[in-house]
Amino acid sequence: MNASIAPGTTARRNRRWLVLSLAPVAAFFLVLSGFPVLNLLGLSVFNVEWSEGAASFSYVGLENYRRLFLQETIYWAGVRNTLVFAVGVVTCQMVLGFSMALAVNRAGTAGRTILTGIFLLPIVIPPIVIGTMWRLIMGREFGLANTVLRALGLNEVDWLGNPDIALASVMFVDIWHWTPFVFLLMLAGLESLDEEVLDAARMDVTGFWQEVRHIILPLMLPTIVITVLFRIILSFKVFDEVYLLTSGGPGTATEVINFSIYRTFFRQDQVGYGSAMSVVTLFAIAFMIIVARGLLARSKRAKDTE
Amino acid sequence: MTGRRIAGRVAANGVVWGYAALILLPTLWVLSNAFKYKIDIITGTTISPITWGNFEQLLFSRQSHFLRNLFNSAVVAVISSAIVIVIATMAAFTLGRLKVPGWLRWLILGWALLFQMLPTLTFVGSWYVMWSAVGLHGTYVSVILTHVVHNLPMGLFLMLSFMSALPHELFQAARMDGCSNGQMFWRVAFPLVRGGMIAATALIFIFSWSDFAIALTLASPATMTAPVAIATFAQEYDIRYGEMAAGTLLSIVPALVLILVGQRFIVRGLLAGAVK
Amino acid sequence: MEKTSCGFGAILVALAGALPANAKDQPDITMAINQSPWLNSFVAMVDRYETETGNVVNLDVTPFGGLLEKIRNSVRGAEGTYDLVNVNALWLSEIYSGGFLAPLGEIRAGYALQDGILTYGATTNWDPAVGSFSADGALMGVPVNGNVQVLYYNQTVYDDLGLSVPATWEELYSNARAIADATDMYGFVPRAARDSIVYNITPYIFGHDAAFFRVTGPGQAAIGLNTAEGLAALNAYLRMSGKDVAPPNPGAIAQGELIQLLSTGRAAQAIAVIAAWGALENPSESRVVGQMSAALIPAGPGGTHASSAGHWVAGIPRNVPADRQAAALAFLDWFQSQDVQVKYVEAGGVPVRGDLAATGLGANPAYRFLEAYSANAENAVMGLPFAAAAEASDAMALHFNRAVIGEESPETALNAAAEALAGVLERNGFAVIRQPDL
Repeated sequence: MNASIAPGTTARRNRRWLVLSLAPVAAFFLVLSGFPVLNLLGLSVFNVEWSEGAASFSYVGLENYRRLFLQETIYWAGVRNTLVFAVGVVTCQMVLGFSMALAVNRAGTAGRTILTGIFLLPIVIPPIVIGTMWRLIMGREFGLANTVLRALGLNEVDWLGNPDIALASVMFVDIWHWTPFVFLLMLAGLESLDEEVLDAARMDVTGFWQEVRHIILPLMLPTIVITVLFRIILSFKVFDEVYLLTSGGPGTATEVINFSIYRTFFRQDQVGYGSAMSVVTLFAIAFMIIVARGLLARSKRAKDTE
Repeated sequence: MTGRRIAGRVAANGVVWGYAALILLPTLWVLSNAFKYKIDIITGTTISPITWGNFEQLLFSRQSHFLRNLFNSAVVAVISSAIVIVIATMAAFTLGRLKVPGWLRWLILGWALLFQMLPTLTFVGSWYVMWSAVGLHGTYVSVILTHVVHNLPMGLFLMLSFMSALPHELFQAARMDGCSNGQMFWRVAFPLVRGGMIAATALIFIFSWSDFAIALTLASPATMTAPVAIATFAQEYDIRYGEMAAGTLLSIVPALVLILVGQRFIVRGLLAGAVK
Repeated sequence: MEKTSCGFGAILVALAGALPANAKDQPDITMAINQSPWLNSFVAMVDRYETETGNVVNLDVTPFGGLLEKIRNSVRGAEGTYDLVNVNALWLSEIYSGGFLAPLGEIRAGYALQDGILTYGATTNWDPAVGSFSADGALMGVPVNGNVQVLYYNQTVYDDLGLSVPATWEELYSNARAIADATDMYGFVPRAARDSIVYNITPYIFGHDAAFFRVTGPGQAAIGLNTAEGLAALNAYLRMSGKDVAPPNPGAIAQGELIQLLSTGRAAQAIAVIAAWGALENPSESRVVGQMSAALIPAGPGGTHASSAGHWVAGIPRNVPADRQAAALAFLDWFQSQDVQVKYVEAGGVPVRGDLAATGLGANPAYRFLEAYSANAENAVMGLPFAAAAEASDAMALHFNRAVIGEESPETALNAAAEALAGVLERNGFAVIRQPDL
């Protein structure tokens, strides 16, 4: 910290830093995501057909959206399922991930390494393997889950074939798969809490749970908020689990938004309609985030007035 | 009181190790499938004859280049996550702790969020067209750079959260000492968010390592990555569980090693004292 | 792929001065193909081609789930990456109608398929005026794998219970009841999961002399689904999915589970693609090696047999240079000969000729599926032969699946499916004649 450097130089250095730090991110977004996103948004008001080896774009205005809102059934079943799915899995992942992070945080060195290694396993397994492996485990006839149930004398359960529990089974696999994501971030957050601040605050509380509720959680709020945000967004984008476990069935029991988009955009090659679906989904997620933020702000205000 | 404490501890330990078992047992089962015949896998037998055939098929058959695919995955994942974490951390610091025009902050973060919320598979077609137009389709560069932009929003927001968690007083003090922005970053922020950086890098690495859609579209047979290779075993009407498990076994080893080595750096106490 | 040995050999022979039997006379070509159990047999044929002619075919092997996208990207670009694309029956109408492939008659004037090659419902030809497959249309590709449905049954169980191969759907059902009542096996496994139910209900529909729709002229279609025949077909399908013969929750059974149940001996009858034969005869994948047989899919009341076509056709894209197109056609031409097809079967592939049962293969018990395969291949149909087939299939699948689960009655399901199909047809430029509701 040289006090002898002229203020002008620092100002120039500061500006240079601003540019240097933001330019790469901006450049990547502009060059590599600009065209794809705008293309997608634009396609939603077109109908694309291929003939004689070339594409013809016909402007259809809001026709795709009209069709989506008035004639589509499968997509909206998917929206309902996805909302249930997102809320359910994010809640469970946050609770489980945070608990596991607490446990590792307080464990001895040996326990910590072992537990961290184990807890991280699900996300290093390729998603396609997780899907196919749980499909085997949950298979009605030969799956391990039912083998265990039968050994215990209980009735077998058709985890993926029974329309009433298929969605819960898919949610279970997703929770199994993605809790390590939350665990890792919560652990990093916990470990970065300043020990001195914690010690000072511990004077005022009377137990472990109090400590968690009144000290740790508030200190970790930014990390928690971002984790929840990303888990919500990523849950809305769930695809692999559904595709591999049930392909959206039986009926529409496990249909989800991303799967509808995949079918429409990819399999049926209806890029205009699929793009419209993506745009509508975008608004749905944005809406959910705004609602969540509102709830968070309201609870924060309530807490501040305590 | 003590009894309740002990009961509490036992219950807590039970939950923790129970959850660990819930993760470990299915994983071990799937990895053990790498050594079984398909009939034993689909009938769910636990004790069955051992075969190396799956590994043979995976590594030595005519159409498979699995070791090459693993290498490609490593190259792509390491380079792309390194790029992401570096540029995301710097940008997160600036956006989170410095005075930046409001519109700029909204534009960058808003665009990042928008991009993150749209489905990836709707973009791969555009990326194919873009990279083919500059003649880079099938090269490492196309896959790496696309992975960078794909994971950038998450990296940005994660580092933003860690940056936001730092105490305000630190930066005030540094400013009063006459630090420039760059100095504040390197001497104050960077050392304190190292733990968060490790966690974020681990996640970004995993996302890049497990990516399927981008690699499928942009890579050539020479640059194809492991998840696509493993996916070839999920065939039209026949899933080759054995080869898939063998591929998984081989591909989780490097990922897990990297992460376990990295998690050693997230230790308590490393960062305390830096406040002074 | 190993080209060095071939090139070296060619040089040696050329040096020897003799007329080289294996000298390359065509440029190298690249083919997009999927990983599958029959890939090895195809690779064996490619190797044979290289040994015999010196010409090289490079295979770019892709997961099945990504092949369509790769083909699309390549054929839509200015310059294609692939000189040959392996197109699944379900994608044929999209690729044909997009005009991406060069008709074989343009590459070699007057080219026609060799006698004896199966066309699986004229799917090798496309008529753009009608917008559908038609024997009058231009020849667009050559089949490379003849994956049609057959009726699988467990011969050992049949012998034990004194059953005979069913000729009608009623007989199939009574066989299934007999098996389910006498043993603890399932009498029949339907494949009724939503993503494949339309494919699997096709033989029932066409066997009962109904159809999803019929092309009655250029741009004109008549719905044939919600008719009395269609209802009979759906009821036959539902009967085969009933609790008394089929596994529980049939609405979730996909191909993987079906083959699992057959190969572990838990089920005795099923209608599935012939390509699953290899899995059933492989000791490391099956407990019923040597017990299974294949038969002609039963007929409806009118005596019509039908089988759903799930084969693969290789096409040559327009956006590659003419010399590579010619090389691709040379390979496809070589592939069709009876000699090569026999070797193909021996290597584990499904042939694209219908006349192999009469060759030496027919007597070999390992290939006892050939006769049933040929018979079913003759009856192969494409249920939705127009460009938006995938969209129509997905729209109808929901209702069929709901009928199987019991969420909709058969009449409601048929009416809803017919209406969905009509909507798709109209959106794609057809004038549609609907049936009155059931």
